[in-house]
Amino acid sequence: MTGVDTERSAAATVAGQRLALLRRPERPVHLLVTVVLVLFALFALPSLMSLYYTGYMTLVAIYSIVTLGLGLLVGRVGLYSLGQGAILQIGAWTAARLLFATAQPFPIVIIEAGLVTMLIGGLIALPAIRLRGLYLALITLMLAGAFTVVLATVNFPNGGGGFTGYNGQQSHIPPIRRPSFAGTDAAYYRFAVVVAVIMFILVYAHLRTRPGRAWAAIRQSEPAALAAGINITFYKLWAWGLAAFITGVAGGVLAGRDVYLYSINFTTQDSIILLAVALMGGVYSLWGAVIAALLMQLLPAFLQNLGLSYAWLYILFGIGVLQVLTTAPAGLVDQFPKDMKKLGGLIMKLVRHA
Amino acid sequence: MPSWSELEQFLVSGLALGGVYALSGVGLVVLYRATGVLYLAFGAVGALGAFLAYEMLQASAPQWAAWIVCILFGGLVTLLYGMIFGPALAGRDPLVRAVATLGLTLILFGAMELLWPPTSGATRAISLPTDNGGFTVFGLQVTWTQVIALGSGVVLTIGTGWFLRYTKLGTAMRAMANDRVITATLGVPVRRVEAAAWFGCGILAGFAGLLLADLVQLEPATLTFLVISSLAAALIGQLRSIAVTFAAGIVIGVIHDLLTPFSALTNYRDMTPFVLAVIALLWASRHRTVVTRSREEA
Repeated sequence: MTGVDTERSAAATVAGQRLALLRRPERPVHLLVTVVLVLFALFALPSLMSLYYTGYMTLVAIYSIVTLGLGLLVGRVGLYSLGQGAILQIGAWTAARLLFATAQPFPIVIIEAGLVTMLIGGLIALPAIRLRGLYLALITLMLAGAFTVVLATVNFPNGGGGFTGYNGQQSHIPPIRRPSFAGTDAAYYRFAVVVAVIMFILVYAHLRTRPGRAWAAIRQSEPAALAAGINITFYKLWAWGLAAFITGVAGGVLAGRDVYLYSINFTTQDSIILLAVALMGGVYSLWGAVIAALLMQLLPAFLQNLGLSYAWLYILFGIGVLQVLTTAPAGLVDQFPKDMKKLGGLIMKLVRHA
Repeated sequence: MPSWSELEQFLVSGLALGGVYALSGVGLVVLYRATGVLYLAFGAVGALGAFLAYEMLQASAPQWAAWIVCILFGGLVTLLYGMIFGPALAGRDPLVRAVATLGLTLILFGAMELLWPPTSGATRAISLPTDNGGFTVFGLQVTWTQVIALGSGVVLTIGTGWFLRYTKLGTAMRAMANDRVITATLGVPVRRVEAAAWFGCGILAGFAGLLLADLVQLEPATLTFLVISSLAAALIGQLRSIAVTFAAGIVIGVIHDLLTPFSALTNYRDMTPFVLAVIALLWASRHRTVVTRSREEA
């Protein structure tokens, strides 16, 4: 009897420790800063921005979810995916189709889009996950390429009938509907931010609990993780499914943001650029995902405002990728504060000498 | 169902396209075996070279000079990249090194978009002098460019195979594919051998870029991402076998073009390389034959 009791109390202690681990924020100051920033983005920013930047900041919120998923795969589990662009397209397509076909509330639809994307992503991953490293990255690139070809033929739904919901002859294309509570651009921006925050919390909760520890073990060493009794395939699939789910949700929000979706706007290079910015932002930190999204969506808006060609972006991202891979593997989110500290030290030194 | 006479012409163009895929795939495999780098900028380098050639032709430079510039450009850029980033990333995972070449791809792609922005009116094109001449075989019109494309694929595959097998440099490359450290210990000038591999691969990239600009289209995105088709051929050859890569390249090119007259499939023909490569990869993983360079797992 006593033996069982000890076991039970030991289990309770472990459970309690786990809960405590989840509950206690690592650094309260960081949490406070995060909350303030989110509140600022939600309430102050929309009234400060022009309509032009509101549209782009909505994209930033959406793509931060996508880069969050990619960062999770690359940074936490060590799975490089060159197919996240295609996953996003699947989410957007599914959401658009459901929005035209049903009268379900918008939030339900984007969750459904996420689940469908997770299912399709999982089906793709099931055989592919056996491959490692380079081969997994290449097979995702191939699948993304194939999917782009399919999408170019099938097109996004535009209110037509049938399974694809596309009608090429239609003269009046109905817009994709938005949630009733977020019809205007500013309100829709807030909606996108809220969705992004929920997705970040979802991933954070995963990282702080059992799956997060399993992923960390897998990334360090697969044989060691296996020896520790971790089901590698299961947890890899879990990471893949989670990333596909949140990317699918992001696709749903993107459908409502763009209102009209055209397959010509989605290309194979999207997936490559996604990996580039995710690496530049930093894949080992959740903030890296936000920085990556800012790089990918806000920077083009600035360039356009300055009258510079979009092509500079490709060059910048190319240089960024090479720089990150050779000298700063943790990305901007890690490098920038260090550089600032160095710069500060340098200035202090100069001031003291002067 | 289109009749045979409709398919015939597509067979010819498919063989030509397949020849270029094959020679690109062989270039990728040789570089991967010698240096461990999967060179994803292969298409972008060739594309930028082709644009340079186009610009020289617009300035009415002699044609042979334009072709040489295109091919040499490919070789030099690739060599430069290999010399700078090869050593910097030498100890890293093959995946990281492949992703780094994506960085070069983006830089070159951006440069092309910047210097040659999309035109609304007339499309740019390169036409080789071999386009006009040609001959008829079994009632089929064949241009010399198509002959060169397929022929260079065949010649380069056999030549590379011979080179790797019988020359000193080729033997050194094969040795490095097995173990770089031991090869260096045996007194092989590893860096010089690598430089030769980079340069050779770059020359092939320039050559392939020129042919593809003529056979397909002179457009940055198309040419840059055609590397994925050649990559598919290389993957079917498991980044190891030159002969299989060659065969895969030809098959991909032929199937791609033969699908053109089928109205139900014509829109999906660009999927050919992806589908074949995915099938090959999955088949290989089932049979656990995905073998890579030494001490790597796949």
